[in-house]
Amino acid sequence: MSTAERELFGNASSVHYFGQQAKAAIDTARSSLSTLLNADPSEVVFTGGGTESDNLGIKGIAAARRAGHIITSQIEHHAVLRTVQTLEEQGFTATYLPVDGFGMVDPGDVRKALRADTILVSLMGANSEVGTLQPIREIGRITREAGVPLHVDGVQTFGKVPMDVDVFGIDLLSFSGHKIYGPKGIAGLFIRKGTKMASIQHGGEHERRRRAGTENVAGIVGLGKAVAVRARDMADETVRLTALRDRLWQGVRAGVQEVRLNGHPTERLPGTCNMCFHNIESESVVLGLDLKGVGVSAGSACTSGNVEPSYVLVAMGIPVDWAMGSVRCSLGRGTTGEDIEYVIEATVSHVAKLRGLSPVKA
Amino acid sequence: MQYSDTLIDHFRNPRNAGMMREPDGVGEGEFAQCMDLARFYLRVREGRVEEARFQAYGCGPTLAACSAGTEVAAGVSLEDLSAVTEARIEAAVGGLPPERRHAAEVVALALRAAARDAMAKRGVR
Repeated sequence: MSTAERELFGNASSVHYFGQQAKAAIDTARSSLSTLLNADPSEVVFTGGGTESDNLGIKGIAAARRAGHIITSQIEHHAVLRTVQTLEEQGFTATYLPVDGFGMVDPGDVRKALRADTILVSLMGANSEVGTLQPIREIGRITREAGVPLHVDGVQTFGKVPMDVDVFGIDLLSFSGHKIYGPKGIAGLFIRKGTKMASIQHGGEHERRRRAGTENVAGIVGLGKAVAVRARDMADETVRLTALRDRLWQGVRAGVQEVRLNGHPTERLPGTCNMCFHNIESESVVLGLDLKGVGVSAGSACTSGNVEPSYVLVAMGIPVDWAMGSVRCSLGRGTTGEDIEYVIEATVSHVAKLRGLSPVKA
Repeated sequence: MQYSDTLIDHFRNPRNAGMMREPDGVGEGEFAQCMDLARFYLRVREGRVEEARFQAYGCGPTLAACSAGTEVAAGVSLEDLSAVTEARIEAAVGGLPPERRHAAEVVALALRAAARDAMAKRGVR
């Protein structure tokens, strides 16, 4: 990337040598991406972030159709939820599908929600909080039969779970670089050839007129490299991380009373372990583990003294006194078995300490 | 979020945590919006707090503020403790970010309630 930043200074849209050099580097990255997704390189559009990709996919379809009905779920990332809500304000209609206790959408519900005026189904490949994988392949079959485009927010699954766009029946797929150790601020959208889309950003002919704006050449080169590494390592990493993830849960469960795993026990991202500790507030777990050198994230957000339990957990039917104590552990390339044993020990002892302070009995 | 070293120290090593048998006064403070709960127990001698202990449910700052609150209460007359302010508790943890000020509120509320409870019991005796 630093070489690209230094040497590929030409604008990829320019016809001179320097521009063509940059364009060749972009094409190489585009080719790596299309191989991973089993797409044609011309179907890959680079953007500035996963949120932009979701906006482009959903608003691009909506702009081409001008009216209609969109199906999504209650547990989507805000990049999708807020976008669909904005379209509702503009006259589009939407159905927000419920999920089961594991955070999974029922494909039958997708079928039932389809209407004559449905213009798009937009669902995430995996939930960002609990990691549950959605049955995209089955949903893709349903949308294919109905002739409705399927957009998948694949930011969480990209490079972690194989997602062949033909096998899964995907028409639009959002992905992002930083989730696979690529640079931040670079992402993309797969757009199947023939999908009726309109641009939502104007002022340039870049990316085959689908996303105006000078390409972030160094970012794209970095993303291409990250994709090549993920394509090589994904299968082995899946096996390794799944074993570590399961060991983490088993270890915590063995040492802590009143703890539950959130998300599907098996149909889940290899690196995601989201747990609820009953009658403990997430932030006190996060702070305690942080002081022990362990970075985890809280499921409930305390802003100005108002705690909002995670809308994902609420949609999954998890009671508030449990949802308030949810913590997400994300495992990655650098996580070792030794780390997991340390996290188990740190979590068990810290939760015991918090429970010792609490007037609320677990 | 940036917390003071004092707050982190109280969170890491809470002072006077746990319940007290046969306390002279007990008081609770609750912050309904975030469900934080603080409970203080007081041992009183000659109108002053000899020992304060706490139990709490809440975020890190609330737990730390409870710990600091027991130190604020020690040696203080019940009359003074019944008027303890949020600012006094906040100062005792080395300050709080604006979005965590409720920690001082819930602790001050609970300490004032515990002091009033002890005063009422003394009156009964």
